Amino acid sequence: MALEYDKKDCFIVEGKLALPYSYFAGRVGSTFITTLRDKKKIMGVKCPVCNKVYLPPRQTCERDLTDIRDNWVEVQPAGEVINFTVVRYDDKYLPRKAPFVMALIKLDGADTPIVHILDGVSPEEVVIGMKVEAVFSSSPTNNILDIAHFAPKKPEKVYVSQRKVSAKEKEGGQPISDEQKLKQERRKEMSKKVIITAALSGAATMKNQNQAVPYTPQEFAEESYKCYKAGAAMIHVHAREDNGMPTHDHKRIKDTHDAIKEKCPELIVNLSSAVGMGKTPEQRISQILYVKPEIASLNTNTMNFSIVDRKTGKVFIDFIFENTFTMLQDFGKAMEENNIKPEVEVYDLGGLDNWFLIAKQGFFTKPYNFNFVWGVAGGMEFRPDMFMVMKHAVPEDANFTTCGVGTEQFPAVTLSCMVGGHMRVGLEDNIRIPTGELAKGSYEQVEWAVKIAQILGKEPATPDEAREIMGIKKQ
Amino acid sequence: MAKGKNRNVAIIGIGQTKHSSHREDVNQPEMIYEAVSAALKDANISIKDVDCVVHGNMELFEMIHQPDLWHVLGTGAYGKDSIRITTGGTVGATIACVSDNLIASGMYDIVMAIGFEKLQEGHTTGGITNMADPLWFRNLQTGALTGSTAYDVMQEFGEDRAKRASMMYRIIMDKHACLNSNAHRAFGLEFDQIETLMNTSPQLVGELRLIHMCSQSDGACAVILASEKKAKELSKKPVWIRDHITIHREETFNMFGYHQKYPVYKTHKFAAEQLFKRNDIKQPLEYFDVFEMYDPASWWGLDWLRDFFFLKGDEHLKLVENKEIMIGGSMPINPSGGVIATNPIGATALLRVAEAALQIRGDAGAHQIPNNVKHALASGFGGTMWTVLMLLEKELNW
Repeated sequence: MALEYDKKDCFIVEGKLALPYSYFAGRVGSTFITTLRDKKKIMGVKCPVCNKVYLPPRQTCERDLTDIRDNWVEVQPAGEVINFTVVRYDDKYLPRKAPFVMALIKLDGADTPIVHILDGVSPEEVVIGMKVEAVFSSSPTNNILDIAHFAPKKPEKVYVSQRKVSAKEKEGGQPISDEQKLKQERRKEMSKKVIITAALSGAATMKNQNQAVPYTPQEFAEESYKCYKAGAAMIHVHAREDNGMPTHDHKRIKDTHDAIKEKCPELIVNLSSAVGMGKTPEQRISQILYVKPEIASLNTNTMNFSIVDRKTGKVFIDFIFENTFTMLQDFGKAMEENNIKPEVEVYDLGGLDNWFLIAKQGFFTKPYNFNFVWGVAGGMEFRPDMFMVMKHAVPEDANFTTCGVGTEQFPAVTLSCMVGGHMRVGLEDNIRIPTGELAKGSYEQVEWAVKIAQILGKEPATPDEAREIMGIKKQ
Repeated sequence: MAKGKNRNVAIIGIGQTKHSSHREDVNQPEMIYEAVSAALKDANISIKDVDCVVHGNMELFEMIHQPDLWHVLGTGAYGKDSIRITTGGTVGATIACVSDNLIASGMYDIVMAIGFEKLQEGHTTGGITNMADPLWFRNLQTGALTGSTAYDVMQEFGEDRAKRASMMYRIIMDKHACLNSNAHRAFGLEFDQIETLMNTSPQLVGELRLIHMCSQSDGACAVILASEKKAKELSKKPVWIRDHITIHREETFNMFGYHQKYPVYKTHKFAAEQLFKRNDIKQPLEYFDVFEMYDPASWWGLDWLRDFFFLKGDEHLKLVENKEIMIGGSMPINPSGGVIATNPIGATALLRVAEAALQIRGDAGAHQIPNNVKHALASGFGGTMWTVLMLLEKELNW
């Protein structure tokens, strides 16, 4: 708020001072710069008393004034980002056009970091811990810009002639570190895992359709436990009142969430940010931020979300499911800021493209998790070709799962499992099992999903394995 | 008003750099480290023994924000209490006064005062001109280049006598500087050059000529002070700080000389009167054995003798003309060569205290005055016509 005061008769003298100066780098600083310039070597100094290696080098150790000017040690031209900032303000005196990254980089062999420009990586992708290397300037600058900038570390190049045998062979290929080997094995192992989610209730499935739809926190807890025992790693929750109506009441939702976690602490609880018909954006997101689940749904497009007779085409209930770009942005940001992993709900290709647009803002963190939803009246019917288009459209390293309404449920999850995705079942989407009989509960569908996985050579992921795959930090 | 000390304080360590026009081989903290390590060595203590570091220099002269933080690698203030002070040209004297007060109060037992300047790195005009109110003409004495004192002295004592006395003062200072290996400018001037220099040295303002004027130097000085108990434990030759006084006066920024009709009470004279009165020193010229004066130009050095020592008529000219201010004379002034020889501004006034203390200890080396120094006076000058005066004693017996 602007301060209100009387500015009448207040005269301002405008002036300008030009302030030239010189800087004498001293012998230690000079040696650093000339060694960098002439030998492309980055030199620090080591304190013999505390063994700290200082970079930039200095004449004395700050701790006790030990004179360390002659204890030069070479440090590696590669290291790790320990902190960074994104310069977003454009100014002609800045070394790059904004936005660009200034990072605090601790080089291997040094104990103190230096500040430098980090190029070759978009601001959205910089992370603390990132491995980076120095890119030396091609012409001398006589200052720290003899390291022109830092860039993400490239994998070491191996020339074909140096390969002893085909890299595909297990034995004798290029040597890889134990750590890399472990990582590779882990990745291979995890690719066998399939995450089975049970959506117990949804907002619309009622007890009169299937008695096993839970309403009370206690019922949710019991159903969840059965699904867990059957092989589910995650439970998707739309909380209900005792009378079955979907609710945005914070306490009821938290009680439902907590009841599940109490009965089965290991399970991942995925809260809906749709809640049910006619809820305001505020009601939809505030409950998520109140409960702070590990993961929550994030819807991508405004669409018809209606009840239409599948045989006659007669419209029973017409409803617009509102998910504007602003909501996609605001909900997504709120979740990321609160360490809640968004599960991106995709009802058609346009919704996915909506997400890509908002993702340009850079706040979504990897790995991304998508759920392809089939058979909503207003969305798309399940078609295998379309499924493959969606699979190819998401980023290569993203995870995807799928769910389908009614009889589309099992065909959709089967294809997903077959092509490397995950599976969501549950009474929210379908009240029956593939035989056409009413499911005894969501858990019976989980049992079917486990069978499909087994047929396709996969194993149900445990909740912790699911967390690892989806990038969820356990809370 | 001063209430007297809670406990006595002494100087127990002194260090300074070699002063020069450029120090390309060291950056600021490295240069300071030279003085700090010399002072620690002189006191025979380590940085761990120091409780507090008081850092001083001119504001903005090196164009550096918060130099005290950047300088920690040289000052050793890491993990210690540390205070930065900047009071203009007087700052070197002010940090000595502050360190004395910090110990006398009981707050700390050992304090290190560090003054420095690396004038070649910055642009002093940038620092100085910013301090005036730009709505009016900039304060005319800002920057300390003034020919008004030369005019006054010539008016009072005749042009030729005044010019000769001023140049005599200048050559005596150079002779002293030639004996001080740390001094910046030591030309080897001789008394038979008086007339040549009077006529040929480039004029800066009126009869203020280049040769009269102080240098711009790079250098640092560190002085370690301790409480009476610590000083007696640690030092064989503690130099006691008896008292000090600071007088600042705003009007003097726009004084262009003095007129009988409009007399101005000069800060040097006022400070000396107050300080000597409360310490019962009635005959300062007799009492003091040596005076390290902040003398930015030889006209001022000459003129100010009268103010500091309450001299009458042409007594101050005679002191110079008879070379009584030389080493070996009755009232040696600036055996170190003074400010005209060496002027790293933030260190300059602290160097006065340090050099006066070295004289008391008898450790001044080639520029040590021959007689036993018991009582020394050191002055600081800054702003324009601001004064800090410090009394140093060999014995704890006043």
